[in-house]
Amino acid sequence: MGIKGLSKLLGDNAPQSFREQKFENYFGRKLAIDASVHIYQFLVVVGRTGDQMLTSETGEVTSHLQGMFFRTARMLEAGMKPVYVFDGKPPALKQEELARRSERRGDAVENLADAKETGEEADVAKYSKRTVKVTRQHNEECRRLLQLMGVPVVEAPSEAEAQCAAMCKEGLVYAMASEDMDSLTFAAPRLTRNLMAPASQKLPVNEYEYAKVLEGLNLTAEQFIDLCILCGCDYCGSIRGIGPTRALQMIQKHGGLEDVLAALDKTKYDIPDPFPYQQARQLFTEPEVLRAEQLAPLKWSPPDLEGIVKFLVEEKNFNEDRVRKAVDRINASRSKSTQGRLESFFGPSTVKSSTQGKRKDPPTGKGKQGGKRGGKAGGVSKRK
Amino acid sequence: MFEARLVQGGLLKKVLDSIKDLVTDANFDCSPNGFSLQAMDSSHVSLVALLLRSDGFDHYRADRPISMGMNLNNMAKMLKCAGNDDIITMKAEDAGDTVTFMFESPNQERISDFELKLMDIDSEQLGIPDTDYAATVKMPASEFQRICKDLASIGDTVLISVTKDGVKFSTTGDIGSANITCRQNTSVDKPEEQTTIELNEPVCLSFALRYLNSFAKATPLSHTVTLSMSKELPVVVEYRIGDLGHIRFYLAPKIEDEEMEDEA
Repeated sequence: MGIKGLSKLLGDNAPQSFREQKFENYFGRKLAIDASVHIYQFLVVVGRTGDQMLTSETGEVTSHLQGMFFRTARMLEAGMKPVYVFDGKPPALKQEELARRSERRGDAVENLADAKETGEEADVAKYSKRTVKVTRQHNEECRRLLQLMGVPVVEAPSEAEAQCAAMCKEGLVYAMASEDMDSLTFAAPRLTRNLMAPASQKLPVNEYEYAKVLEGLNLTAEQFIDLCILCGCDYCGSIRGIGPTRALQMIQKHGGLEDVLAALDKTKYDIPDPFPYQQARQLFTEPEVLRAEQLAPLKWSPPDLEGIVKFLVEEKNFNEDRVRKAVDRINASRSKSTQGRLESFFGPSTVKSSTQGKRKDPPTGKGKQGGKRGGKAGGVSKRK
Repeated sequence: MFEARLVQGGLLKKVLDSIKDLVTDANFDCSPNGFSLQAMDSSHVSLVALLLRSDGFDHYRADRPISMGMNLNNMAKMLKCAGNDDIITMKAEDAGDTVTFMFESPNQERISDFELKLMDIDSEQLGIPDTDYAATVKMPASEFQRICKDLASIGDTVLISVTKDGVKFSTTGDIGSANITCRQNTSVDKPEEQTTIELNEPVCLSFALRYLNSFAKATPLSHTVTLSMSKELPVVVEYRIGDLGHIRFYLAPKIEDEEMEDEA
């Protein structure tokens, strides 16, 4: 999923491109959430022991609803405004990758059967996780739940990440939330990861800034897409023996994917055939998305308590007390006014770096220090 | 080379105590004008602006402007080791990566040196425009501190409304509600006990008490506090630090949300 090794590559080469944020700090922010990735995650982890998942009395899986309900409730409680984006039809180029995934799932089913026979519990859990597939019913149930919770839902014509990224670019939302790094390949200005992680894990949210990614890697937007394709994306195969670090070096050296491929020693590296990098590139630059004016205005309405209770408690056997309390907390948070931010009054902030002292992380480009510090000094003297 | 000597070293201790819970890392700017800092909390709801003017120090030297990144908790740890009556001197070399705090006891019997490692920090700065505020309230700092503390036990948001007669602080919580009004009062002999209101236009704004209580930690620095407010603008809570300078806190108000649909 996503781009192979990109998060590590950014950690090593562009540490300034992301930073840790507190979950609570996203109050009042609109966030486009890639629903499919998160539903998949819920099915993999929520309430799982071995190959047993949360189920209702009738044996239907409810892990996805459990995750969707309580984590969305947590966001609403903190004053965030999530909008969920569901996948549409996958692009034709992704069929091969999807077939591969389906094949892996098939293998996992066999392995799971073997593991159950031998009784290896660790293996049972491992392979059972790999058999997880998000079905149409899972998606339908999540949509129904979100509607009851008053949370807007957007149906992407194709890839959800691309749609989220487009909404972020157009300023409809502050950031997008996904775990897939290819969101950055779609040039989402701001990507958050771990936003939907359970509160109990106490994981800080990682916020990536696209502009700083390009700055840190010293690449143009086009080169960054080429880098992602070279690392290995969902749309075309990857070249054996070329990892993220090699890929970055080569793009920096040669400038573009065509020149990299031309310079590549064909005796050492096998370029997969077909290698439809041009089409992949086009999918990243011109993905099939709905534009702002094609979308219904985003509105967050009050949760339908009785509807939620009927669905989750009566149909899916959730604990009524917990469900009602969560809805109460959402309502309590809705009744409060929203905390403003200073930027909305004083304009965007500028970054000023220290002149002395050691940086905890490796330094980035030096150019940005001078000018902005001058601006600040002026501000101080004016206020006296 | 930067060097600044402050006979009233206790002031610097109090300054740090008032900001260290709001901001973790910050850049201190040492320029010929003085020793200053601007920093925001991580949610960008509040901002602190500190200025200690160079002429307020007993000795001050800043050859060229430098910006020293410090972890405020670590700085506070060192300043805690200074006595309240100690003379504090700060020193930093131009190319160095440490700052030295020297504490001298009033009778010069004890001299200590603490060296703090500096950090290179990217701090986010805002350009704050000069504003003529619609309402300015000057009141005893201890009174403001008490109000914020008392109201925080009832609710989490305070509505501050200023009229020509007085300033009213109101809150509502699960257990009930509370209103505290301070009338304009200029008859008291001591100026620091007066409550004065300068008003161009009545103002009414809501704020999170959590932040105001954090600002009120600056109370030991000054007898009076000044609240400046305008419609739909952050409040400024200012404490003057003797002849040395000031510490100003800015807090964004709470606003009504238009995208939340009400119950049909």
